[in-house]
Amino acid sequence: MRDPSSRRPRYGEARYAYGTVLPVVLIVALFTIYPFFYALLTSFREVVLYKPFSQPFVGLKNYLDVVRSEFFAASWRHTLTFVAGAVPLTTVLGFGIAHLLNARTRLAPLLNVTILLPWAIPTVISGIIWAWIFNSSYGAFNGLLYSLGLIDSYVPWLSRPRSALACVLFAHIWKEVPLTSILYLAALQAIPEELYDAARVDGAGTLAAVSRITVPLVLPTTLIIVVYETMVGIVTFDLLYVMTGGGPAGATSLISYYLYNSMFVAFNFGQGAALAVLLALVLVAFIMLYLRLLRSEEIYAT
Amino acid sequence: MGTRRIALVAVLVTLAVAASAAFGAAPIQLTFTVWSYSTDVILDNIKKFEAANPGIKVTLQDFAWEKYVDVMTARFVGKTPTDLAYSSDHWLQQWAAANWIVPLEDYFPQVKAYKADFAPYAIEGMTYKGKLYGLPYYADTIIFIYNEDMLKRAGFTAPPATWDDVTRMARVMKEKKIVEYPIMFQFQDITPWYIEVFLSMVYSYKNYRMFDDNLNPIYDREGSAAHKVAQWLVDGMRTHKIINPASLETTEIPLVKAMGAGQVAFAVLPKYNLADLNTPGAHAQAGKFKFALMPGETHGTVGFVRFYSMTKMAADRGPAVREAAWKFLEYFGGKTGGEFVVVKRWALEKGLGFAQLPLYKDPQIRAAINKWGNVTLEEQQAKLARAKEALTPFWGSWSLEFQKEMNKALLGQKSALDALKASAAKWREMKR
Amino acid sequence: MKGRAILRSGLPGALSLVLAAYVLAPFVWVALSSIQPEKELFRVPPRWIPRQLTLDNYRFVFTGQFPAGYEETGIARGRISEKARDALPALRNSTVVATSVALTNLILGTLAAYTFSRLRFRGAGLMYSFILASRLLPPMAVAIPYYLIINRLGLLDRYAALILIHTVFTLPFTVWFLTLYFRRVPPDLEEAALVDGCTRFQALMQIVVPVATPALAAAAAFSFMFSYNDFPFALFVTSTIRSQTIPVIVANTAINPDVSFGVVSVTVALTMLPPVAFAMAFRRYVTRGLIAVTTTR
Repeated sequence: MRDPSSRRPRYGEARYAYGTVLPVVLIVALFTIYPFFYALLTSFREVVLYKPFSQPFVGLKNYLDVVRSEFFAASWRHTLTFVAGAVPLTTVLGFGIAHLLNARTRLAPLLNVTILLPWAIPTVISGIIWAWIFNSSYGAFNGLLYSLGLIDSYVPWLSRPRSALACVLFAHIWKEVPLTSILYLAALQAIPEELYDAARVDGAGTLAAVSRITVPLVLPTTLIIVVYETMVGIVTFDLLYVMTGGGPAGATSLISYYLYNSMFVAFNFGQGAALAVLLALVLVAFIMLYLRLLRSEEIYAT
Repeated sequence: MGTRRIALVAVLVTLAVAASAAFGAAPIQLTFTVWSYSTDVILDNIKKFEAANPGIKVTLQDFAWEKYVDVMTARFVGKTPTDLAYSSDHWLQQWAAANWIVPLEDYFPQVKAYKADFAPYAIEGMTYKGKLYGLPYYADTIIFIYNEDMLKRAGFTAPPATWDDVTRMARVMKEKKIVEYPIMFQFQDITPWYIEVFLSMVYSYKNYRMFDDNLNPIYDREGSAAHKVAQWLVDGMRTHKIINPASLETTEIPLVKAMGAGQVAFAVLPKYNLADLNTPGAHAQAGKFKFALMPGETHGTVGFVRFYSMTKMAADRGPAVREAAWKFLEYFGGKTGGEFVVVKRWALEKGLGFAQLPLYKDPQIRAAINKWGNVTLEEQQAKLARAKEALTPFWGSWSLEFQKEMNKALLGQKSALDALKASAAKWREMKR
Repeated sequence: MKGRAILRSGLPGALSLVLAAYVLAPFVWVALSSIQPEKELFRVPPRWIPRQLTLDNYRFVFTGQFPAGYEETGIARGRISEKARDALPALRNSTVVATSVALTNLILGTLAAYTFSRLRFRGAGLMYSFILASRLLPPMAVAIPYYLIINRLGLLDRYAALILIHTVFTLPFTVWFLTLYFRRVPPDLEEAALVDGCTRFQALMQIVVPVATPALAAAAAFSFMFSYNDFPFALFVTSTIRSQTIPVIVANTAINPDVSFGVVSVTVALTMLPPVAFAMAFRRYVTRGLIAVTTTR
């Protein structure tokens, strides 16, 4: 056994390689190839479920219909507004909270556990809870403001276009920030303490240390968070569906809701598929961006 | 020994085969899909049905009401075995046109005899291209509910009879600080009740029609009933401030809870909510809720029906299955031993409405309804109810557009008439 | 300079309190609601300190006995979301499924990630990219095709359906995450073992896995949480309590006209238990695993 010559030859290694990788590839393929072609082929046909006997090839018509609809433009506008709010806030708050988790306060050990709670509960349930808290007739948020004397009567937060989006964003951040905080916490803990000591010796203040040492060193984590949160923001659905139903007057209807609507309300699978393909292309664009940023990370790292 | 043992085994095997041939005729399996409301009652009904019909086994599968269509779409597209399913008037056209459910008349001509017992709005709600597709699970009307205590405190002895009355009374309540916003609706963008409530208000007018005979929208004309209702809503919310602005985020449950807590004096709701509102354990103001005929010129309203349907899949499984399905349909939506057993149970225990008009003569039903409602008024309202017009396959998509546009008017982003014109334009586009 | 002293001592403590309040407030609200009678939940303004405490809602979920006031309606039965009574079996289903997903991820993910990180073979890059790119189709768009696949496999309403779908969603992340991690484990020790005659598999199990525990724990935690959180797919492929998971049951309970918010609160409170236990058990490892992956080489 200890004879070095008994090491397996290269072809055995290849067999091992395929043997370990193929199960994953096959499972993923089972649930990728068929849905991909299903979406692609459906997107070029008129597939409306209540017209079961005619599904003609219509070329790019579904794509044109989708892109031209006012719903498309409006839902992209809302989606981008949402993402533009969610990404910076989850990133910045995560960064700040990670410092609190890392601080040697008495609360830190407790915080380290409680911060995980929002992450741990299903999105649809957090939507139910937040809709209840923000409710205009009996919600705790209104109750709190009222008890503190900040408002004279309950305010319909979810019934006004801007505050409704803000409420959904608030709930979304509550759900997402634990993850970004943990990611940042891990990044912070990996920074050698000596770097800060050296900075202090050089007379740098806390803020200078953060901006000159911490921020650059957690940059890879920041990139991961930014890209991940962008993707989560773009496909977000459950929370909105439960909290506002896309309202009031469509003010919080995001692109994924448009997709849902095409498929399960209008029964227009052709348009739904076209929209899905478009959405996938947008995500691909983000992935390209992601890869480019990762490459710069590698440059940075070496 | 060996041969005797073999002989014994042979005899036992023969006996077993004979026994299974005699008694073991495989039971007919029926799969029944519902939305999750009181599944314990449904299961109990199934148990009783199975006891009365040995040889039929029913499997119940239930899904959340708001997601029911999504799941059923997947099941029908995937051809997942489903024999009997809850359906609703506003899905009928899509489901029937997609060939997912079948006209009962084609398979069970005897179903026609039931039509004499059903309220007209319910028959209309279950009919597609002239054929009946279901037997009612429950059928109900949209009604006007008020808090009698608040009304009295405002100095009124009778509920409003017209929409102007509603405005006048609500303004008095607001002035007397009985309640800040006396009226509340469930006008969240996508709640399916929005359109039903709006239509029930439209149907309270003489010229109630939304569409002409060729399904062209006429509701976007100035002075139409829909225009009057829309303008009344906009005025109530934006000018008189008697309609709670939070209506725009509100769905059925929060509205009922707010009303039960004493924050709403007037609401337009599906009738079964009255039974819940008068449940002492659930609401602080329980016992104070009454209902009146829908205010307006004719007191008309929307009557809706949810029904048991048979799927194409079940119909294709052959005569034995169809026969079992019919037994099921008749047990649940029709008569057993001359009585609407299951429908009556829903009405007694849960306060659900019914389209089976003979039940209004049942003393038990009358007594039960009178404990939380008013059976005479209910019967009267049921007769004034009509089914929704123009239930085309794109009706669901249109209703969402309608609701979104109407909410723009309620937010002051456009005029009531412009909102109606916008959704009517969408209808014309979809109809093409 | 004085300001900085305050910053050092007082401020983090105060901010920590604010943070704890922000994170915990909804849970406290739910927990308080679960121990009050229904009527108390709709007061304006709410009672911050409940006056009437009751275990009725819990009793209902566990035993089916109606809370006070629900049977006096004059109607023969109470009107309350019976669905809530499925919360306990649904918790079991959720835990079984999520644990299986975590284990499947550990086994398949570790094997594949180690290979991707160490071995060169034809198609490696292509397969790696394929696995990662599989997450590009929007979940909403694959719902129906996924349903059709599960249906064809005859797995509707079975644990296996959920385990498969959740595994498909989580494996790409696990593989990516563990590959990054393994690349940062110095290969010297394994090389020595391989020279000594170990197989790749033995080297992985005996040398790499022991030092990779934090990363494995993190991967397990992520896949557990994803599976436990999933609502849309669980909704589609489950149809009875045989496999319905807790988000499905809570959503079901919360949207019926006969819903009691007190009872919903009980189901939400119960929902929090398994992931919290899981998170507490794995928290340390999760952070350590993340440290290793997110730091530069």
